[in-house]
Amino acid sequence: MDKGKKIWRKNLIKSLTLGVFLFLLSFTFEPYNQGQLALVLMLFIGVLSLTVLTGASGQISLGQGALMAVGGYASASLITNLGASIWVGFLVAVSATAIFGLILGTAAARVSGPYLAGTTLVIALALPSVANRFESVLGGDVGLIVDFGTPPAWISNLIEVGYEQWQLWVALPVALTALFFTSNLMASRAGRSWQAVRDDEIGAAVSGIPVARTKVIVFVVSSAIAGLGGALYGLRGLVGPSVYPVSLSLTLLTAAILGGVGSIAGAFIGTLIVVFLPDLIDWAISGLAISEQFSNYLPSLLTGVLLLATIIINPAGVMGAGHRRKH
Amino acid sequence: MNTFISTLITGTANGAIFALAALGLVIVWRGAGVVNFAQMGQAMFTTYIASNLINSGESYWLAFIVALISGSLLGMIIDLLIMRPLAHKKSSSSTKTLAATIPVIASLGILAILQALAGIFWAGEERGFPTPVNSFYFKNGAGTLPFSAFNLFVIGVVLIVLLLLTYFFTQTGVGLGMRAAALNPEVARLSGIKVSRMRTLSWAISGAAGSLAGLLITPSTNLSPNTLDLILIIAFTAAVVGGLDSPLGAVIGGLILGIGIALVTTYGSPENVFLAILFLLFAVQLIKPNGILGGKQVRRG
Amino acid sequence: MKIRGSQTKRWVIGIVAGAVASTLAIAPSQAIPVRSEVGVSATEIVLGMQLPQTGAASPGYKKVDDAMRAYFDYVNSKGGVNGRKIKLVVKDDVYKAGLTISTASTLINKDKVFAMVGSVGTQTHISIIKDINRRGIPDLFVNSGYSGFYIDPKKYPTSFAALGTYVVESKIEADFLKKNYAAELAAGKVGILYQTDDFGRNVVAGFKQQGVIFPAANTQKFVAGSQGLGLTAQVQALQKAGVTLVVIGAVASATAITIGTAAKLGFAPKWLVTSVGSDATTFKTILASQGQSAAAAAFLLTGVISASHAPSPGEDTDEFVVAFKKINTEFNTGAADDKVWDNNVLQGMNIGYLTTAALMGAGKDLTRKGLIAFMEGKGATLSSAALSPLSYSSKTHEAYNSFWIGAYDANSVLKPIGGTRVLNTTDSADGPITVSTYKRPAIAADALPKVG
Repeated sequence: MDKGKKIWRKNLIKSLTLGVFLFLLSFTFEPYNQGQLALVLMLFIGVLSLTVLTGASGQISLGQGALMAVGGYASASLITNLGASIWVGFLVAVSATAIFGLILGTAAARVSGPYLAGTTLVIALALPSVANRFESVLGGDVGLIVDFGTPPAWISNLIEVGYEQWQLWVALPVALTALFFTSNLMASRAGRSWQAVRDDEIGAAVSGIPVARTKVIVFVVSSAIAGLGGALYGLRGLVGPSVYPVSLSLTLLTAAILGGVGSIAGAFIGTLIVVFLPDLIDWAISGLAISEQFSNYLPSLLTGVLLLATIIINPAGVMGAGHRRKH
Repeated sequence: MNTFISTLITGTANGAIFALAALGLVIVWRGAGVVNFAQMGQAMFTTYIASNLINSGESYWLAFIVALISGSLLGMIIDLLIMRPLAHKKSSSSTKTLAATIPVIASLGILAILQALAGIFWAGEERGFPTPVNSFYFKNGAGTLPFSAFNLFVIGVVLIVLLLLTYFFTQTGVGLGMRAAALNPEVARLSGIKVSRMRTLSWAISGAAGSLAGLLITPSTNLSPNTLDLILIIAFTAAVVGGLDSPLGAVIGGLILGIGIALVTTYGSPENVFLAILFLLFAVQLIKPNGILGGKQVRRG
Repeated sequence: MKIRGSQTKRWVIGIVAGAVASTLAIAPSQAIPVRSEVGVSATEIVLGMQLPQTGAASPGYKKVDDAMRAYFDYVNSKGGVNGRKIKLVVKDDVYKAGLTISTASTLINKDKVFAMVGSVGTQTHISIIKDINRRGIPDLFVNSGYSGFYIDPKKYPTSFAALGTYVVESKIEADFLKKNYAAELAAGKVGILYQTDDFGRNVVAGFKQQGVIFPAANTQKFVAGSQGLGLTAQVQALQKAGVTLVVIGAVASATAITIGTAAKLGFAPKWLVTSVGSDATTFKTILASQGQSAAAAAFLLTGVISASHAPSPGEDTDEFVVAFKKINTEFNTGAADDKVWDNNVLQGMNIGYLTTAALMGAGKDLTRKGLIAFMEGKGATLSSAALSPLSYSSKTHEAYNSFWIGAYDANSVLKPIGGTRVLNTTDSADGPITVSTYKRPAIAADALPKVG
């Protein structure tokens, strides 16, 4: 048995273990936390797409939310216009975003560092304009209403499933697929050649790795993952410009940074932090007499502080992967 | 008056302000190797300070000067507290590309904090902001000319700032030192230039330039914690179009953006403005990655 | 494969840490309420609301919740509704639908609200309306004029409006133009500036329904939220087109920027501002802090035409305005800026008043079903500060279908044109416009609604 297969198997076992664990855990949760956990899984996929991009190319995108939007719109327009099932929606979302990523990657392959960050930010900002231009298909600024629907009869006959629980049950296999795929990818030959390009472009070129093509492929893969997350995220109720604003991209980035860029486990931890931060704040200030004005701005204030603290104290984030993987 | 000419003038007046904001980005990029996404957040903050002074009865000019000074102080504080420690960490960071993006992330964190603080201090209320000179368009008999004294003031101020900066960077010892520190820190250090001090100075000058842009743009819109987000995007595009390391390029980029947006709004559709900005950004990066006036050297990051 | 080894370890640590963190984050399960209905106890009714309290869309609207809470506090000081105190839980969604979904989940699952009330915003509310309705949670007095929420009660049986729809209002405004500015319309001298979202488009649709179609040269738009770039080019184009009357379908800040810019350009058409953008406080705050004197700002507002279903907040003799103003002064605990009396505070007070009335009407055995049944059956009999009757029925959940047209006087008070207030009524579809004879019932001495 070669190494590749071993890793493959190991990752499968790990993903399944996590899946079974979260599945069982969800039964002990109240609907609120089931919904929160479902949200963690959805955003986790978005953060994973950033992990792939950053871990494999060292690039930062501030427009990952816009890529999620592409996936969301692809699946939602299919579901609302053609009555497709959400599972077909996921497949279409991945394909559509991969194609979009190919175009974007071809254009962005020459762009790097802060340039890419700024350019992707402009993409995220231009999204509402696109939605308005193609209003008949994309629903303009009010968007397209979609949701997770209800569980099929064979499940609901067996057991009563709440709406939040059903969200979680749909999100779980999708997120695990993304997790399994990503962890294999990062450990695969291809993944290693990407990291070689990241660490030393000239060296990689000398050892025969096609640098430009590799960069484009990283974009395609990262986009496809983001699209999957975006389709899932849209099913929470709506696909529209205000569901995928610039701040969503920044949330994903924050999660990735807090956990540790390039680290898969870090991506999960970072996502947990950003999703549960408002609850933690509510809990922390519940007994205190602070003005509404202050508490309203507390989440964004704390996000900024956490972000700064992370990169100043340990730029590699909670999981510290960046440092160790240095060659 | 011809529609085309009045569109051009409106665009130029806005473009001059975009140019200032872009100039601020370029100065920090050249001087400290950072694209500062917090710049217009800093400008928003100092414009609020000026607005408070004016609302409490102080003169415009006092508020103007206080805003510029607090802008440069804010820039210095950001460098000393955040960017300098980060620059020291950079060397230990895993990859070069990642190292170049870490300050970008820091600047986003700063932006979030500044916007939250402005919301907490000033209730996130919407305000206007005054002009030092009449902003009513000149009358020409029964009709109006398509510009105001304030438009002329803006263009004049931008020209003066540009001349001062050119003089500063080419004729003064400190300015030359800053350029040397930016171009080759090691050599500069060996020849006795305090490189980190030069960086802090870039942050200060850029902070003042951003503040000035904030003071000049808010009269034609409104002031709220998020108002200037769009200006940052435009300034960034302008800087990239002109060449991130070229001050003159930033000015040209700003004018291109200002006039371009006015033309698209008048002759196309305002809905296409953001798509046009995106298109311009891609086109420049594909055709002339270093911008119109950008240097030939390989880009940092 | 050493590298992989350490990665795996961290991977496992990560998952364990994550699981622990998520377990820790679980809120302790709340005690099951004594009564069978969620959010209702013998002593309390919990209501939820989502609105932008921070961010670009928050100015103005962030005052609505404070005013509502002030009215509820007043009701509570008088013993509450059927002995129950009203508690309002408010969540900030920054006007981002992704966040609205999360905050709604918090309100529904964690705060266990009995009903949603007064939620602000079309783009945000649309993301949760289906879920709220599926759960049968009453969704009362939604602050959005988007007709899609209300005209098909089979689709959204629990959602009820707090405003007139954009279409109704613009149909009535178009009718006003046809009657009073026929020459200008015929000569193509009427223009429009609107924001390209559901609101702006509904305004255009309402005018079109009445046969008022704006020539392309007289039509200017801007992307909602982009007024930060200024609106000079748009206003200049209207000036060039030679229009003498401009309809503005934009939020209050953009309206203020438009009229302020026009003044600078020496462009002084007649303005017709839809009620969304017609907020004298915002207008004067923005223009006055632009360095114009308060007098100059008031001057620019003078003569501006607008429509309303309610009295103008500046009408000091209106009994509802007097009563609500008093309650606002005594009970509003919001930040200093959020207490300043204006349209938004009046609207919040009015929703507080209507909510109290609806809760009274639903009776002592308060249930979600009972509340919705009351709203559909008898909601139209409720009165409020509004000069228009409510339209709730099993056929529609629209609120106010009557508007009067006025112009701002020198004191920034919207006054009926011609001196007498004429209420016009229509629907969000193709119905005709008729004159309403509705007389608003008087407010009780204790400023509490009287139901049944």
